[in-house]
Amino acid sequence: MRRKIVIPVGLGGAMLLALLLPLFSSDYYVYLFALVFINVILASSLRPSLMCGQLNIGHSGFMSIGAYTSALLAKNLGMPFEITLLCGALLAAVIGLAIGYPALRLRGVYFAMVTVAFVEVIRLIAQIWVPLTNGMSGLSAIPKPNLLGMTLVTKTDQYYLVLFLMLVVLAVLWKLESSRLGLIWKSIGMADNLAQSLGVDIAKHKLLAFTLGCFFAGVAGAFYAHFIRFLFPPEFGFLMATNILVYNFVGGRGHFAGPIVGAIFLSLLSEPFRGSPYETIFFSIAMLATILFLPGGLITLPGRLGGLRASRTLAARVPSRVA
Amino acid sequence: MPLLEARDLSKRFGGLAAVSNLNLTVDAGEIVGLIGPNGAGKTTCFNLLSGFLPPTSGAIVFGGEDITGRRPPEIVARGLVRTFQHTTLFQDSSVLENVLLGLHLHSRMGLRQLLLSPRVFPADEVALALEVLEFTGLAADADRLARNLPHGHQRVLGIAMALAARPRLLLLDEPVTGMNLEESARVMRLVKTIRDRGTTILLVEHNMKAVMGTCERIVVLNFGQKLAEGPPPAVSTNPEVIRAYLGADVGHA
Repeated sequence: MRRKIVIPVGLGGAMLLALLLPLFSSDYYVYLFALVFINVILASSLRPSLMCGQLNIGHSGFMSIGAYTSALLAKNLGMPFEITLLCGALLAAVIGLAIGYPALRLRGVYFAMVTVAFVEVIRLIAQIWVPLTNGMSGLSAIPKPNLLGMTLVTKTDQYYLVLFLMLVVLAVLWKLESSRLGLIWKSIGMADNLAQSLGVDIAKHKLLAFTLGCFFAGVAGAFYAHFIRFLFPPEFGFLMATNILVYNFVGGRGHFAGPIVGAIFLSLLSEPFRGSPYETIFFSIAMLATILFLPGGLITLPGRLGGLRASRTLAARVPSRVA
Repeated sequence: MPLLEARDLSKRFGGLAAVSNLNLTVDAGEIVGLIGPNGAGKTTCFNLLSGFLPPTSGAIVFGGEDITGRRPPEIVARGLVRTFQHTTLFQDSSVLENVLLGLHLHSRMGLRQLLLSPRVFPADEVALALEVLEFTGLAADADRLARNLPHGHQRVLGIAMALAARPRLLLLDEPVTGMNLEESARVMRLVKTIRDRGTTILLVEHNMKAVMGTCERIVVLNFGQKLAEGPPPAVSTNPEVIRAYLGADVGHA
């Protein structure tokens, strides 16, 4: 009963805070939360694949494809953001389809290895293809997002854009996960041979979940490009890919809210270390601490605390009954 | 024409012939038992028939159509459904959800339904799944998590899920393993009822009492080859079968 009230109120409150944030906080926090929202999109879009039991350590590669595609189309051809966003996301999805089709035949760690190799290949292409990407000098002077004929000049405008994008992506993912498709993903993750024996085309569904994730990673990348306005190949490396995974594990894999909670929590907490070597250490510690103390992730924390309290009150009551 | 026919079916794993030149037919409406000592190739045979393993050579014909080399979803769609030897369930889902997944193939799943429909499962599918649970005696467990069911009920749930996929031929891999006498008798009664409702059955089982009491025809495998075939009394007195089960020296002892 209490749950039924707490969740809508909590969500409404968070939504209100997100909408009002630019009114009462400095530009720094607007900028920071825009980055947080990008991470939420990345983390949540990995979830379908994870539900199918596929460990994808290559998500940042698809973000990179979305980012470079969108940036180059806008910079070189002057296309508006709504077109470049779609092109970036679609190209990420198409390449995801091409990589996923052969790779998803592999199981467990072998699939993971292919995705790791993929991240490095994409990074190297971005580094070496200098005429297009400007290589290690980085791609700079990317136009600000130009949406429906208006250029979103201020960080606040862009903040609302990414907030909107995040909500749309989350709504689509939530709807899919709570549909039959989500049940199929879950069933493949639990027992793929059983799913297969009941007529589920597991290869098709794994590929679909994977490609869907790539598409939304492309969306995140496209926005990132026009928000930061500078792309540097090593940014989208293995490290970022593992961070996206860590968001999912630390947040919790058992529920839709897991990657969202994980991405917000870790992005904010790791902010002082962003870009420094301590970032890796921080993420490693977060991951280890989760495995050791909270295997279900942060989303299981309220339940655990509740359980603790319940058992304590029970323990307090039991002796009187025994006596 | 038989419902299922395996012609010269062989499966080799490297140098090991798990199944060799097996000829097997199952007629519509039969209950056929597949028995044999451990390692005789029974489960491999099931994996071949259900498309989980591609055969090295030979052909499988189901309902007059060659299904050799087809993948499991295609075979299930044609009405050949299998269960597993080890209890295989979606442990973290409810009993009802497990069965609903069995209905998967017969359900509508357009993009519109996925994105716009407020409900995961249409009411008629839920009704159908509940009917299957009622029929298999699991109705009272509908909302429990699969992992919390007692072992016997878990095995029955495996059968219920396969039934939801509406098989014409049901392959049951050791349906009464690990059950006590009473439970196994109930499951074998269920198997007969399933047959009487029009589903042909091929089953692998080690519990001889269950096999002999239920099956109308028995095929005995040993070292991947067919050793004997016939009605239960003939098979159980066949000296070759006894030797295969009890060892070669038993006749001299």
